[in-house]
Amino acid sequence: MRTRLHRRVLLNLLGLGVFAFSVFPVYWMVLTAFKPTKDIQAETPSFLPVHVTFSHFSTAVHADGFWLFWRNSAFVAVTGVLLALVVACLAAFAVARMKWKGRQAFILMVFVAQMTPWEALLIPMYVIARDTDMLDKLPTLTLIYFMMTLPFTIVTLRGFLNAIPAELEEAGQVDGCNQFQAFRRIVFPLLAPGLLSTSLFGFITAWNEFAFANLLIIKEQDQRTLPVWLSSFSNTFGTDWGATMAAATLFMLPVLLIFLVLQGRVTTGVAAGAVKG
Amino acid sequence: MAVVQAERTTADAPTAPTKPVGDRRGRPLWVRLLPYLLVAPTLLGTAYLLVYPMVRNLLISFQKFGIGQLIRGGAEFVGIDNYREIFTDDKFWSVVGRTFVFTAINVGLIMVLSTLVALLINALDRWMRLTVMGGLVLAWAIPVLAATTVFQWLFQSQLGVVNWALVQLGFEQFDGHAWFADGRSTFAIIVVLIVWQSVPFAALTLYAAMTTVPRELYESAQIDGAGPVKIFRLITFPILRPMFGLILCLEVIWVFKSFVQIWVISQGGPGDATLTLPVYAYQIAQSLNRYDLGAAISVVTVVLLTLVLLAYFRQMFKEEGEL
Amino acid sequence: MSRHALATAAVAALSLTAIAACGSSDGGSDAAPGPTTIDVWLMKGSVSDDFLKRFTDDFAAKHTDVKLNVQIQEWNGIGPKIIGALASKDAPDVIEVGNTQVPQYSASGGVVDLTDKLADLKGDDWIEGLAGPGNYEGKQYGIPYYAANRVVVYRKDLFQAAGITTPPKTREEWLAATAKLNTGGNQGIYLPGQNFYVLAGFIWDEGGDLAVKDGDSWKGALSTPEALKGIEFYKQIQALGKGPKDSDEAKPTQTDVFAQGKVAQMIAVPGAAELIAQANPALKDKLGFFPIPGKAADKPGAVFTGGSDLIIPEASDAHDAAYTFIKELAGEQWQVDLAKSMKYVPNRTSLASQVGADEGTQAMAAGAANGQATPNSPNWAAVEAKNPIKEYLTKVLTGGDPAAAAKAADAIITDALNSGK
Repeated sequence: MRTRLHRRVLLNLLGLGVFAFSVFPVYWMVLTAFKPTKDIQAETPSFLPVHVTFSHFSTAVHADGFWLFWRNSAFVAVTGVLLALVVACLAAFAVARMKWKGRQAFILMVFVAQMTPWEALLIPMYVIARDTDMLDKLPTLTLIYFMMTLPFTIVTLRGFLNAIPAELEEAGQVDGCNQFQAFRRIVFPLLAPGLLSTSLFGFITAWNEFAFANLLIIKEQDQRTLPVWLSSFSNTFGTDWGATMAAATLFMLPVLLIFLVLQGRVTTGVAAGAVKG
Repeated sequence: MAVVQAERTTADAPTAPTKPVGDRRGRPLWVRLLPYLLVAPTLLGTAYLLVYPMVRNLLISFQKFGIGQLIRGGAEFVGIDNYREIFTDDKFWSVVGRTFVFTAINVGLIMVLSTLVALLINALDRWMRLTVMGGLVLAWAIPVLAATTVFQWLFQSQLGVVNWALVQLGFEQFDGHAWFADGRSTFAIIVVLIVWQSVPFAALTLYAAMTTVPRELYESAQIDGAGPVKIFRLITFPILRPMFGLILCLEVIWVFKSFVQIWVISQGGPGDATLTLPVYAYQIAQSLNRYDLGAAISVVTVVLLTLVLLAYFRQMFKEEGEL
Repeated sequence: MSRHALATAAVAALSLTAIAACGSSDGGSDAAPGPTTIDVWLMKGSVSDDFLKRFTDDFAAKHTDVKLNVQIQEWNGIGPKIIGALASKDAPDVIEVGNTQVPQYSASGGVVDLTDKLADLKGDDWIEGLAGPGNYEGKQYGIPYYAANRVVVYRKDLFQAAGITTPPKTREEWLAATAKLNTGGNQGIYLPGQNFYVLAGFIWDEGGDLAVKDGDSWKGALSTPEALKGIEFYKQIQALGKGPKDSDEAKPTQTDVFAQGKVAQMIAVPGAAELIAQANPALKDKLGFFPIPGKAADKPGAVFTGGSDLIIPEASDAHDAAYTFIKELAGEQWQVDLAKSMKYVPNRTSLASQVGADEGTQAMAAGAANGQATPNSPNWAAVEAKNPIKEYLTKVLTGGDPAAAAKAADAIITDALNSGK
């Protein structure tokens, strides 16, 4: 009995250790956002919110263009991810449910596409956008974010699809549906949570992207996105850490909310996909 | 919380291979063409948004292409000069070596730690489990740029929390210790940061997969007197092997390509202590405005990464073939 | 972080409310009669809201044929963005460019040559630290806009308490005073280890330089005996405080550290005082300024002249209207106004007398007399982008062998400056 109790205590302590280690940097960021400027660079750091202030948040929210850039970011992230979802859904269906020549090569291509070093494509992308008059346009970013997220989306969706027994569709087909009706009525509802959670990854990628947003939106300041604004922010206030951290907290909030709602399903999808090989 | 559902869904997920729908014989043409139509948007998108820029990139790597050529056009073809320039540069090879070491250390740590964390979560009570998973999710959701800034800040030499804590613990020599002055400690901090950011995904995914292993297998093994190590070696690992494979593959790709963390913290320095291939390519392209050399380096990066993952791809190919 | 820490910190206080310069522009594409609209990029912190309004109102009254659309750009990520603008088909018509970065754009062929406007703009009177970098191979591409340089910001009360009645004028006096101040939990001076513009000043004082041109190629010059003496002094003065040896003045923000109230001196542009007072109002009336001391009492220390030039991209479709704008902003009336309202050094030496000065501006002007620029090479921006001088400083301050570290840094500088030739 005693050893079992020891084991429990030890495991819980380990669990607390892991928790503390993973949370501390995040906690520090949020805490700083609530600290008065004078306490931020203090000789003796305080680890609890003693003097709470909302002034940094108000500075951040009232900074010029916050809501406009918020909308722009939401637009490029959502459209890019939606496009990726639709396209990936079709491809994942073909890969998971059909047998065709070139399927292996296609899967390989998707994996190789995942390895793209995007930073290296800045200049070619710029040249292409310039020559096709796509500079300074948010849809250009949509397309790029679509491509950045597409490979992972296909891989994960394929995992989700594999986890849904094909027999369900066959049963539907027996009942008089064709393959697509069967897909829409039976598989799609089961797949919906998977679609949602898969989109999260894409969303994070698009939401955070800086280099392309900075280079491809040149003259139209109204088309800038949040990460560009966020980086500018630290300069606006002469690196005002409190305001920067408040901005980063606000910036992370939507991602966190979606995460908390969907988190489990993401791993499930990947897990299902992988267990399938 | 959604994590609870995760366990259930995964546990319910069948592991039997999916049977392709439809019969090969006597299918009309459109049915046979259907899969190609379905992947067509992906192929078109990839062709225009990925392959085409890649080809342009490849083209640039064979040209003399600097800021002048970008602005005025008229880049001249120089054959393999750019490749010759990087291949004859000792610095390039040391960067390649460092990139491999960097990837190996990070991925090794990520795999070991995330496996341990996943096993720990699996062994915890419900509430503790949710707490730990919640913590991991937080670490996962924080934007890379913000996390990097916070880490940099924790390790500041003056007024940094890490130094403060070490001094409180009695290590007086850390008062004002300059972490980023030394190549090895900068390297170590970046490793800690990347591992910290990567473990949540890997651990949560592995844990989700572990819940699919039938309990009975463990129980019978325990009855046979197998210890935890033996159970992991004989049951958990073999069942989850494809999962370990996928995570390994993804982590190798992600770590190899890590850029933001290194660029923000050290820009590859001090000296070249943290200079890896993506950082090197960016440095040359964007700081020196040698877009041609940067293009050549990125081409080599893709080739190297493909070679590293060749074994995994071959394995995947074989398994896909069996379906 | 490049030289912009300077401009940014200097005026962040004055421009806390960001300037609303958004609004869709219709490019400069209207060839039809009616006013030409020009897009102007100014950098964050180069003008205050107030100044901009006064300027644009006056401009609109004087030049009815030109419509101004001023956009304020951020320093972060500006390099690729300006290159992107220069290479685009529809570039802004005037761009403000940091003076250490202007050579690379001049050399690129994407910037309009304004040599024939020199007389019109009274170019023989320009301050060297701005005109030099704007000049590439004998042609003037960058038009001097404004300058600022570093001074010592100090706490009058702490000086008094330590019995120091007059600000130090020589290095010896400075070291002695700083050592005296460096007691009782106070830092004599807060000097981060990687403030390489300060190092540059010490090196220039000794007669050395960061890099020298030898015929057609550049050579890093940190390992010359003069430069080594410069870093020796940096090490001495830096040790009289707790400035982080592995970081620059932005991490942590030095004005915040100063605002904690435990620092007697720091090296910054005079505008930094506003930021300190804002973070800690109690210090507002306790701040003083003096020029960085030189080797002898009659000559203040050499300083890096920070500042900006204005350029017109070739890709702009309204070169004449753009020039009209430049002529106004770089002309006497607005230069004097700008220098007064933003605490800058105007672009022409003869205008300095018109800028009636407060203590900070006076200290800056005294130092500006001995102002210098970074090596005039299109590749200098590349050196700053991954700054080997900062690493060199850290290495020496943490006990490394200066000669060996200087040699290593020189190799990188030489390499970067000669790259692409």
